[in-house]
Amino acid sequence: MGQAVPTLLEVQTAMRHKLLECGDPAFVGVLADALMPADRLNIYRNTSRSTLTKALRLNFPAVERLVGEDFFAAAADSFITREPPRTAWLDLYGEGFPKFLQGFEPARTLVYLPDVARLECAVSRALHAGDPELLEIARLTGINAYDRAHICFSTHPSVSLLSSPYPVDAIWRAVLAANDAAMRAIDLGAGVVHLLIERREDEVAVTRLDEPQWTFAAALFSGEALAVALEACGDPDATSWLAAHLAAGHFTGFAFEGALSGKAPRS
Amino acid sequence: MAPTTPRDIPPIPARAGIGLRFPHHQAVLEAPPNVAFVEVHTENYMGGGSPIRYLDAVRRDFPISLHGVGLSLGSAEGLDPIHLDRVRQVAERVEPALVSEHVAWSVGGGDYLADLLPLPMTEEALDVICRNVDHMQNVLGCTILVENPSTYVQFRHSTIPEWEFMAAVAARTGCGILCDINNIFVSAKNHGWNAAAYVARLPSASIGEIHVAGHSTRELPDGTTLRIDDHGSRVIEDVWSLYALALRLFGPVPTLIEWDTDVPSLDVLVDEARHADALIAVAINGTSRADAA
Repeated sequence: MGQAVPTLLEVQTAMRHKLLECGDPAFVGVLADALMPADRLNIYRNTSRSTLTKALRLNFPAVERLVGEDFFAAAADSFITREPPRTAWLDLYGEGFPKFLQGFEPARTLVYLPDVARLECAVSRALHAGDPELLEIARLTGINAYDRAHICFSTHPSVSLLSSPYPVDAIWRAVLAANDAAMRAIDLGAGVVHLLIERREDEVAVTRLDEPQWTFAAALFSGEALAVALEACGDPDATSWLAAHLAAGHFTGFAFEGALSGKAPRS
Repeated sequence: MAPTTPRDIPPIPARAGIGLRFPHHQAVLEAPPNVAFVEVHTENYMGGGSPIRYLDAVRRDFPISLHGVGLSLGSAEGLDPIHLDRVRQVAERVEPALVSEHVAWSVGGGDYLADLLPLPMTEEALDVICRNVDHMQNVLGCTILVENPSTYVQFRHSTIPEWEFMAAVAARTGCGILCDINNIFVSAKNHGWNAAAYVARLPSASIGEIHVAGHSTRELPDGTTLRIDDHGSRVIEDVWSLYALALRLFGPVPTLIEWDTDVPSLDVLVDEARHADALIAVAINGTSRADAA
């Protein structure tokens, strides 16, 4: 052979560069000498691409229907090269896909596409989130008014919020139901939508909130104290919204603001 | 010494089981088929919600074999501790009777390449995979099975025949071997090996499970025919014959019908399992593990 034997790391680095098509010739050159026959590496490349494209298809079914199979496959191929998964658990693969679509020139005219992809990311997170114990509402009884104002909740991992200038929830539903009439009825200029995404039993629910409800939820879900969330939304009904969040199992626990910032909690 | 099963879970009987994929979840729960066990891909049950709850229900009816596809035991850079911990969490919840992974690699530089990539058969690669198998077994607290690969390329600098490599991993780490008969057939055809001799050289006492599956053929531009391990069809007769030979040599072993692409109706999988069971019955009547050597 007359060549130095490559180390396992050199071989694996070269194959990774080849499969992800980011091949620095200095890296992949080792394969021409090491592999018999070197061109069969394409079989692995094709399997890898097809598995990852399928994972993206499963996670972004509405995006695929909106752009068509061929367009989606081309976008996926480009995305896979740029952002291969960092874990073999592929259920959430594509967290960077919405941002990628935003800069993907062929998709520029579909202005709502990145936000539909963001909604599908939230749906995937809701579907595959873990199952932590829910906060028992009884734990909140007997907390005095001062401490109550300083409660910070831990949000269930399946629950998230999204706002978009486009009616992405209506688009998502219509396209997945293949409901052409509903698609035609969508008014892209109807205004901003504020969405709550959560898992209920085995289904993912996407519901619209009004802006004060969304602002209140956004503050609570980001760990702000209850008093801060109430002030942010400025709505006297907000305490009833809190009850609804608790009843829906949106929280897994709570702490007092002082405890979170390192101060001693009041009892 | 035969491989041990995890944490005193009863061993899977030496009969046929089926790979369980999402399209059959409901059917398997509503009318449990007459198979000895089901095998699932570990990576499909790493989240919460309905898939893992479904598996909780299925395991009331069947022993479970957890078959990982993404830990990358052959990675020179070691195992991803986060992924290994996810495997551990699934194993703790599912209490599988078998845990298996592959003699292959799929992670490099932190990127998951989504295929079971070939390893050069070298002393260095053997050291790497043994270190990673030790790591996995220590974290899981049980022995695992490692599966022989199907490959389309060979490395010029390989120095160890694949069957010796498999035997060495088992000998050094105490793990068992998941003998994939279809993979041996595919690799033997692709590289001009003798499949029967490969099977005969595996250490029979280490064989903890067998896989059989369908594969396809592809004509390459250079005129050669390549066998592709796509798990998308019935097991071909030549692979059943190799399986029968393996049973004569190893004795009866839990056997999985693997089918991952174009997944057919459950009846077809159960029919394939019946065929494997019939060959196991022949092996039980014709020979025994003790006199197989």
